[in-house]
Amino acid sequence: MDVYEVFRRAGHKDPYEHCGAVIAPDPEMALMMAKECFVRRREGQHLWVVRRTAIHSFKDESLLDIAADKSYRFASAYRDVVSKREKARTRAAQIEDGTGE
Amino acid sequence: MSEAFASVVLALADDELVLGHRHSEWTGWAPHIEEDVAFSSIAQDEIGHAGNLYTLIARRTETDADALALGRAKAHYRHATLCERPNRDWAYTLARHWMYDTADDVRLEALQGTADPELAALVTKMRREERYHLLHADAWLRRVSQGPVEGRTRLIEALHETFADAVGLFEPLEHEEMAVKEGWLPVPSDELRTRFMARASAALDELGLPTDIHTRVAEQAEFVASSSGDLIADDEPAAEGVTPDATAGGRAGRHTGDFDQLWDDMTFTYRNHPGATW
Amino acid sequence: MTYEEKLAAFNERIADGDKIEAEDWMPDDYRMGVLKFIEMHANSEIMGALPERECLPRAPSLQRKMSLAAKIQDEVGHAQLLYRVAEDLGKSREAMFEDLINSRSKFHNVFHYPVKHWGDVAIIGWLIDGAALVTQAALLDSSYAPYTRVLKRICSEEQLHLRHGEDITLELASGTDEQRQMFQEALDRWWLPIIHFFGPRSNVEKDLLLRWKVKTRTNEDLRQEFLDRYVPKILELGFTFPQPVPRKDGDHHVVDDAEIDWAPLDSIKKNEGPETARRLDERKSIYDAHRWVREALAEPAVHAA
Repeated sequence: MDVYEVFRRAGHKDPYEHCGAVIAPDPEMALMMAKECFVRRREGQHLWVVRRTAIHSFKDESLLDIAADKSYRFASAYRDVVSKREKARTRAAQIEDGTGE
Repeated sequence: MSEAFASVVLALADDELVLGHRHSEWTGWAPHIEEDVAFSSIAQDEIGHAGNLYTLIARRTETDADALALGRAKAHYRHATLCERPNRDWAYTLARHWMYDTADDVRLEALQGTADPELAALVTKMRREERYHLLHADAWLRRVSQGPVEGRTRLIEALHETFADAVGLFEPLEHEEMAVKEGWLPVPSDELRTRFMARASAALDELGLPTDIHTRVAEQAEFVASSSGDLIADDEPAAEGVTPDATAGGRAGRHTGDFDQLWDDMTFTYRNHPGATW
Repeated sequence: MTYEEKLAAFNERIADGDKIEAEDWMPDDYRMGVLKFIEMHANSEIMGALPERECLPRAPSLQRKMSLAAKIQDEVGHAQLLYRVAEDLGKSREAMFEDLINSRSKFHNVFHYPVKHWGDVAIIGWLIDGAALVTQAALLDSSYAPYTRVLKRICSEEQLHLRHGEDITLELASGTDEQRQMFQEALDRWWLPIIHFFGPRSNVEKDLLLRWKVKTRTNEDLRQEFLDRYVPKILELGFTFPQPVPRKDGDHHVVDDAEIDWAPLDSIKKNEGPETARRLDERKSIYDAHRWVREALAEPAVHAA
């Protein structure tokens, strides 16, 4: 018997989510048991079972930490859009008035 | 509403209720915890089916589903003996589960052609769940039959016993002739029985299990000591083939001692508080 | 890092309100303490199924037959979730199960008592699940993260059980004289065990589980929350309490420690409750008789014939 981790997906917009595990002798039985243990309230329309031994993870999860500043990957790096828009509008107005360059 | 129609629906409903009651007895101590959860759903399905069928009748006779399910005298129940047998152990339970759901599949398939549209719609809905029940029973049968010899042996013995009772699911209904004539039962019971036996034999064969299970040929020859040390087979085929047991007669309201306790428990609270709501 | 350094770091994590995962380093008494606690919880769920399944055959309607079966199914499901969490701390499910049926481990007191009739179903579903919900909601803050994750689902299902139990109670309370009597008679038997459920006053100095923040609130605190929530509801339905009778104290409904007879709980702690032996024996005999099932399940993949 093996531990099978169970994943379910509610609808097409959602990703699969981990919801627990069953102990079962083979994938077919794992699916039936997972169906009853984790989807008996129709929490999902899609079901995966994966042998736990097939799942991998970092031994040292601190490797997942982001060290160097990669703020350009986040929306917060672009918070000055308001002032920049204002600056650009002003510049456009200058051109129209003929007051600028 | 014709008596013949009621006899078709009540036989089906009573089977599901009594079997569901038996299945539900495993809740809390089935041999594998995930299976405990899974089997309880199957029990609830059967009871739910019974409820829908009783409701169908109740609406046409101005009574209610609970009065039909829990308020009748023992001899008015029309379930087959197979359903009232105690669970004994997991081998017997699996065998009975497999026999019943295989037979039920034959029956429901035919009933989809019933002359009553409401019943036809209900049967179609039931078949969806029963499809899963059969998958479940098959998976377990496959695993146990191909596993260690102890499990396989217990299973084969249990299949033999339950097969004899399962045939009782196809005893003629109380108003069989009329039910067929009026179109409630599109296929007569004895034709259904033939289909069941063929289907069960084919399925058991595919699972690597003895298909002449009803004429019991011992799987293992017994070692009978002879002066020469020969292995002498001791495999007298049992009796006659498919002969309905003396205890059959469920469709006519004749039940065994097994039903006494079941009925007593199942109807106890309801019976002792007439008119109460719960 | 030396053991002492690791221990100091761990203590800091706990003090900071950090959550511990299965793969983290943990001191042995934390590991053992959490394992035993979760094991007892799992045991209680699977043993709790037994008194309720004894009530199932006599369910008074089809709807209740199904809903009670579903409720017990949930409890078995909870046991399944909890044993899984406990296994990851280093003890196999099989070992835990064998300890349980051989009376080497413990389960909550309430499940050592007999059931008699439908009134018990109301009490168990409303008041006992209500008590469990109070303690389990507090555990959502536990330092051991995998436990809190399964508790999230367990608590949401217990919420449903509570509503189910209250529904059953209200039908009895507004029903016939016999139905009201059913509830009262059950309450008379169950009230003391429910008080015992929360345990005696916590020993804050010595309680390892409180120190490690596996538990976050004291027993008496949880009991008081239960009493304040449920005593008024029971009174407004016109039922009365047996000993220990709660008395009003300002905004609270209190039970005096001096009025509580702890003797029955002492027996139960030794697995000597009224139904302990019978229920464990029945479980054990089913378990022993089904070794062939475990062996069949242990086989590697089967193939079509």
